Amino acid sequence: MEGGLQLVKKTLQSKGFPQVELSERRGAVVLEGEVQNWDDYLAAGYGAVGYGFRGVVNNITVSGLKNCFTESRPAVKDLSLDSSEFDVVIVGGGIIGCAIARELSRWDLKIALLEKEDDIAKHTSSRNNGMIHPAMAVKLGSKKHHYNLRGNRMYDQVAGELGFELEWPGSLALLTKSWQILLGPLAKRSARKKGLHGVKVFSRRKVKDLEPNIGDEQRGAFYMPESGIVAPYKVTVAYAENAIQNGARLFMNTMVQGFVMEGSRIAGVRTNRGIIQAGLVVNAAGIWSDRIAEMAGDRFFTIHPRKGVIAILDKKTRNSQKLILGRAQLNGRSHTKGGGLTPLIDGNILVGPTATETPDREDYSTSAKELQFLEENHLPLNKALKKDDFITYFAGTRACTFEEDFIVEASKYVENLVHAAGIQSPGLASAPAIAVDVTDIAVSILKKKADIKANPNFNPRRLEAPNPGKLGLEDRNRLIAANPSYGRIICRCEMVSEGEVVDAIHATLPAHSIDAIKRRARAGMGRCQGGFCTPAVLNIISREINSDITEVCKREPGSEMIVGRTKDKARAGYEN
Amino acid sequence: MKTDVMVIGAGPAGLSAALAANQGGAGVLLIERESRPGGILKQCIHDGFGIVRYNEKLSGPEYAFCDLEAVKSRNIEILKNTFVLDLKMKDSKFKLLLQNPDKGVFPVTATSLVAATGCRERTSRQVFIHGDRPAGIYSAGTAQNLINIHGYLPGRKCVVLGSGDIGMIMARRLTLEGAEVLGVYEIKSEVSGLTRNLVQCLEDFDIPLYLNSTVTKVHGARRVEGVTVAAVGPDYSPLFGTESYIPCDTLLLSVGLIPENDILEPLGLAMDTSTGGPIVDQQMMTTIPGLFSCGNATHVYDLVDHVSESGATAGSAAAGYCKKDCVQGEIEVKAGDNLLYAVPQRLVPGKDSVVYFRSARTMDNVLLQVEAGEKVLTNKKYIRLRPPEMERLVLEPLPAGLEKVVLSLKEAETDA
Ligand SMILES: Cc1cc2nc3c(=O)[nH]c(=O)nc-3n(C[C@H](O)[C@H](O)[C@H](O)COP(=O)(O)OP(=O)(O)OC[C@H]3O[C@@H](n4cnc5c(N)ncnc54)[C@H](O)[C@@H]3O)c2cc1C
Ligand SMILES: Cc1cc2nc3c(=O)[nH]c(=O)nc-3n(C[C@H](O)[C@H](O)[C@H](O)COP(=O)(O)OP(=O)(O)OC[C@H]3O[C@@H](n4cnc5c(N)ncnc54)[C@H](O)[C@@H]3O)c2cc1C
Repeated sequence: MEGGLQLVKKTLQSKGFPQVELSERRGAVVLEGEVQNWDDYLAAGYGAVGYGFRGVVNNITVSGLKNCFTESRPAVKDLSLDSSEFDVVIVGGGIIGCAIARELSRWDLKIALLEKEDDIAKHTSSRNNGMIHPAMAVKLGSKKHHYNLRGNRMYDQVAGELGFELEWPGSLALLTKSWQILLGPLAKRSARKKGLHGVKVFSRRKVKDLEPNIGDEQRGAFYMPESGIVAPYKVTVAYAENAIQNGARLFMNTMVQGFVMEGSRIAGVRTNRGIIQAGLVVNAAGIWSDRIAEMAGDRFFTIHPRKGVIAILDKKTRNSQKLILGRAQLNGRSHTKGGGLTPLIDGNILVGPTATETPDREDYSTSAKELQFLEENHLPLNKALKKDDFITYFAGTRACTFEEDFIVEASKYVENLVHAAGIQSPGLASAPAIAVDVTDIAVSILKKKADIKANPNFNPRRLEAPNPGKLGLEDRNRLIAANPSYGRIICRCEMVSEGEVVDAIHATLPAHSIDAIKRRARAGMGRCQGGFCTPAVLNIISREINSDITEVCKREPGSEMIVGRTKDKARAGYEN
Repeated sequence: MKTDVMVIGAGPAGLSAALAANQGGAGVLLIERESRPGGILKQCIHDGFGIVRYNEKLSGPEYAFCDLEAVKSRNIEILKNTFVLDLKMKDSKFKLLLQNPDKGVFPVTATSLVAATGCRERTSRQVFIHGDRPAGIYSAGTAQNLINIHGYLPGRKCVVLGSGDIGMIMARRLTLEGAEVLGVYEIKSEVSGLTRNLVQCLEDFDIPLYLNSTVTKVHGARRVEGVTVAAVGPDYSPLFGTESYIPCDTLLLSVGLIPENDILEPLGLAMDTSTGGPIVDQQMMTTIPGLFSCGNATHVYDLVDHVSESGATAGSAAAGYCKKDCVQGEIEVKAGDNLLYAVPQRLVPGKDSVVYFRSARTMDNVLLQVEAGEKVLTNKKYIRLRPPEMERLVLEPLPAGLEKVVLSLKEAETDA
């Protein structure tokens, strides 16, 4: 690799970074030194790609940039998991970790999933577009393409088994120039090579027939029928619940802080709740997956977060659009899917996302500028939409590597570590397939040491609570007659009943905070943003989990909603 | 189930609509989605209600109690905990699908429908607040509900954004409940609520009011830890260098109310973009025959007594409609120069009418003119008009054949 290092050195010099020091470590190129700003950090990282190394470890510091950024950590510290033993420990409760837990639960294994937050799907897996991409915008030959295509094909079955909603509205990649229609045959050929079916080129007239509100400057579109939509947090919950029902254990508020290494093996997983003995560790830590690799001395890649801001529109806009609308990305060099307008499974329209590099991994703040970008760039695709229709907005960060591809493989140097890392977009679409492969890799490693049998009690179907809104009239009335709380609606915008909130609180994966209930039952997700249902939901949680109202949180401990009773301080002072 | 008049919402508007429809001889069904009737009045425990309707200063719950007694005395059926799942029109009748815990899902057919569904608050998202997403951001009405209905204190150190009435009332309420209110921040150059509330809620309690300023950012990972406030320029954008950080644990928003008409929209009725409610005539009938709107669902009133008046008007006209004694207003009412809006937006000739309007800005010594073509129908002088303060005006019956009347405000010549 000496020659490779020379070439990287040359490239970095020509980009203006002569100060960057290079070395090779276990097949990866390591960058060190200091640069002026984050753009330079990125430029140097990208400059080192493509010279035959396994990956780029970018340890360059940025002058003036503080090293530690916002990161939520669990407040608890105890020894409740100390000395516990598991065959597999999965780090991270996003869609990837939860899908892996479920696939692994087909085997007779003791499985633990560790998540540092108080609930699963709090990071990227609830901060995305919820689109099952058709594997068109990904490079042929990449892992992204491989898993996206396979994952896409698996979704119907997974949705049937796990009982989450899935629709295939199809998508239009819109063309603003008439001549772009001439690229049709090329696009179709590329689609065929990538394994897509039914891709068509539509004229403006055809597009207008399908979507009467289409923006005036759109001249035509590529149509991709294999584009689907799901509620990503519900998919994650569904995977997690089925995993639990098949014997896996999920531990929230549990953060992996390091590993106890024995030679080239991980012997123990250090957490804020003690050291866990692990037969094998799966790294599914999303935006922090490079740090987990580092803890095992196996970092050969770098995650650099790419933030995406998303806005949600009022449900009354939903009838104005049928398909997923986006602009065709014809230069092929852009690192994003471009964003656009996505109809959502729950009946809203989603605008975005944006794509901006940021050094801060868990910075989910939004700004007026980003909202303006969404308004100006995406809203005009559908003429029926206006800024007044925005009911909320939020941000997520994609776990990008400099190689811009997924990492799904056994560690080359640590015997019992498997990485599912750098899972940026289209990670949601790819999750079912990634989980199957990670499971195969993990089981083959474990089989070297012991005989692994199938889980005799595995049930692929998730057992779930009734959803009155989806029942026919008679069934719904039978349900309400048996339990009137399914007839008492407490969320006026999303028509969620008290019974559904109670079910979410006592579900396989219990939801005990305002936001966790929002992700399960949708109470508070509508146009009034919880203005109406918050008092009711607070009271129901407090009643059902038997805790004082002042202990009920919006999210994790520390985010209490109610600080006391009226006049409590005054009363206490008077009584003293 | 079948009924002549179906009233949706048992706030003051719905209660008086139900009463009036019953007095007009119609069969009435009143539904309410909450477990108790009274609407927003249930949580308005301060006084100042009822001076016109009951001739005394009542608290909100007392006012609602009086309304409810009247409704009960006439045996009008109220279905509580009842939500509208679906609403359609068929053969000129209203077909509703309702749900409650006792009856499950059940259909109701009504000849006439009165929507008295009130309003909802604008959210922090709708005024585009940015920064972190901690607990401790409440709309003023939600805070009012928590404090007055449940006895819960949502915070101890509060900043209020927006000087709407509920915000100012809550600033006082929180102070009385032992919380500290650090200030009310208003982006405009004057308060957006009533002068009465400015004096009684802020000035009397020494709560500072900051005009031409706004909250630009919320800080805090879990619970609100502080907000950044800044002065704004004439275009409402924050002025560089004026930002300051205020430590607090709660941000309350009082940034406007939106008439709630989402269940009606599928019927395709005409809406007024300046009120946010349906276009109505002086009988409160919308552009769909048999469909009436009243109270805060039509436009946001400032006095509950006037809400009740609109409800009574709608209720008796709905009863009349069932007896085929109701025609639709065709004369257009236009809000002309210096008017924010005027309600009703249509008039039936030959009938008295009550018109409400708001000025577009604060004006002194103004003349209101109601004109039909070249002809001035009414002239009225006002010493001072402010947009938050709604004006009520009684118009004489109009002759048939008019197409349009225009309301406008003219600055009167000041006598030198
Ligand atoms: C704006 C945006 C839009 C997107 N749109 C789409 C789309 O439409 N379709 C699509 O297919 N993909 C999309 N993606 C990508 C997709 O969301 C991600 O690929 C996917 O959610 C990644 O899942 P994950 O489980 O790897 O990561 P995460 O969901 O982030 O999960 C990782 C988890 O690990 C936990 N963790 C981290 N460190 C530790 C530790 N030390 N100990 C314990 N736990 C730890 C974290 O708390 C987190 O919960 C989008 C992404 C973004 C940002
Ligand atoms: C916070 C606040 C403070 C105020 N303070 C004062 C004051 O000091 N003095 C004064 O004179 N006026 C005051 N007002 C004004 C006045 O009290 C209100 O405007 C009045 O209560 C509005 O009456 P309403 O019937 O139109 O609406 P609401 O009182 O809101 O009643 C509407 C009812 O309809 C129900 N509903 C809505 N949709 C449905 C549906 N789909 N199905 C079934 N039921 C439904 C609601 O649950 C509610 O009970 C205040 C208003 C507010 C909001």
